[in-house]
Amino acid sequence: MRVDMEARSDLGRVRKNNEDNFAVVPELGLYVLSDGMGGEAHGEVASGLAIEAIRHHCVEWANNPDTPLFGDPIPNLPPRANRLASAVRLANRAIYESAQRHPSQKGMGATVVAIWLDEEQMSVAHVGDSRLYRMRQGQLEQITQDHSLVAEQVRRGILTQQQAETSQMQSVLIRALGIDPAVEVDAEEHPVLPGDTLVLCSDGLNRMATDPDIGSVLNTSLSAREATERLIALANDNGGEDNVTVIVVRVIAGTNGLLARLWRWLCGE
Amino acid sequence: MAKLILKYEAAVLKEVDVGATPVGIGRAPDNTLHVDNLAVSSHHARIFNDAGKLVVEDMNSLNGTFVNSQRITRATLKPGDVVTVGKHSIEVRGEAEAIPNAPMPAAPAKPAPPKLQETMVLDTKKRRELLAAAMAGGAPADAQGATQTQAPAAPPRARIPWLIVMQGKTDQHEYSLSNKLTVIGKSSMATVRLVGLFAFFAPGVAAQISKRDDGYYIGTGEKVPKVNGQPITGPTKLNEGDVIELGSVKLNFVYRD
Repeated sequence: MRVDMEARSDLGRVRKNNEDNFAVVPELGLYVLSDGMGGEAHGEVASGLAIEAIRHHCVEWANNPDTPLFGDPIPNLPPRANRLASAVRLANRAIYESAQRHPSQKGMGATVVAIWLDEEQMSVAHVGDSRLYRMRQGQLEQITQDHSLVAEQVRRGILTQQQAETSQMQSVLIRALGIDPAVEVDAEEHPVLPGDTLVLCSDGLNRMATDPDIGSVLNTSLSAREATERLIALANDNGGEDNVTVIVVRVIAGTNGLLARLWRWLCGE
Repeated sequence: MAKLILKYEAAVLKEVDVGATPVGIGRAPDNTLHVDNLAVSSHHARIFNDAGKLVVEDMNSLNGTFVNSQRITRATLKPGDVVTVGKHSIEVRGEAEAIPNAPMPAAPAKPAPPKLQETMVLDTKKRRELLAAAMAGGAPADAQGATQTQAPAAPPRARIPWLIVMQGKTDQHEYSLSNKLTVIGKSSMATVRLVGLFAFFAPGVAAQISKRDDGYYIGTGEKVPKVNGQPITGPTKLNEGDVIELGSVKLNFVYRD
């Protein structure tokens, strides 16, 4: 499939080290972003372990379809989305076991959001508050639901969105990788359309910039690279209080034109 | 202190005082005013003290919240007002009083708190306690010291949403929306499959409906769908009876038990 893609990670303006990590495997259409936590440089250890475990498991499965799944398959989900969920469970285990072995790493953890896409569909898996947005026909939609305390309270109607945005509890996650021996992974399969723009980001973006501002940057950027640079600049201009990592994937039209459709129709596909 | 009296016809079911935390009204058992009736949404509305004023807020309920028979989304209440949800009514007695630092509605008055402390994650035990306390209606600021250990909400009785085909050619006459994501179009992912002569020109993904915690939302595909005649401008929550239009196809969104 044809995509225009850019991924960047920035320290921000306040933090001394960057605890975010990301990985891109273009030949698979796999994009992974992780935001680590835990003092004394252990945040980046956790996010690095997450990224490596996920990349390794997905590449392994692409080369060998008999690679066993880790954890129980989620019903009604295609194999690739289940594979991604399996990879995220392995990432959880890798961080958890490392923290058990090394007392200094106690309490480290990470969030993750990952997508794996082809021309028509995208598998999504996430844990924590790193997000996936999708811009389609000029409309921005947050695809993942944060596993944070305030997001849960908004979902249950206990806080309004405005209260959530000023809450002191914004940094409290209710799910993350590496905290417990097992983790519940949210995984979904979505259709992908030519013209869609997908954005994976750490909370350093969406806590510094509003959704309308993010949408406006995406709508007025001519390339993934321009969008990525402007989103990072937006977060830093608004304070840059945290590391900010952004992956922008623009799905380019081309395989779904009238001729291609006519051809597929004639071939009976 | 303001008091709320929950009634079904003439029978008084419960009385509660409105203190610093909001009074939740709904079908889920974690509501202070728990109303076990299918016409009532799981978290239907809430009543709280907003700096000395008693305020009722509808929480995107399916069938609406009424004050003295007027449908409202948010309204200030005075003694004698009657709030209606489904067939139950809630009478308001007494005035709200100013509560210093009322934790829930204080957001506009308080200066923005220091943001972005280190991210922390709750371990399993602490998570359960904090969630249970917070979800029982306690404010987050109180939650850490809270002693409440009420169980989180049991899943509300499921009403299943359906799409009924009113017009246009599809592979079935009606569809129950059992999945998290329902695609409408001719793509292989589509649940609602467009067929017939014009299907060739129909988009693979005309629109999609996603299930979220608070309901079902329709989003744009290759076409911008119309809901009740209006093109949507973003993910739009579907309400009972809404008519979805995609080109020549019309679908009716309804809930069934």
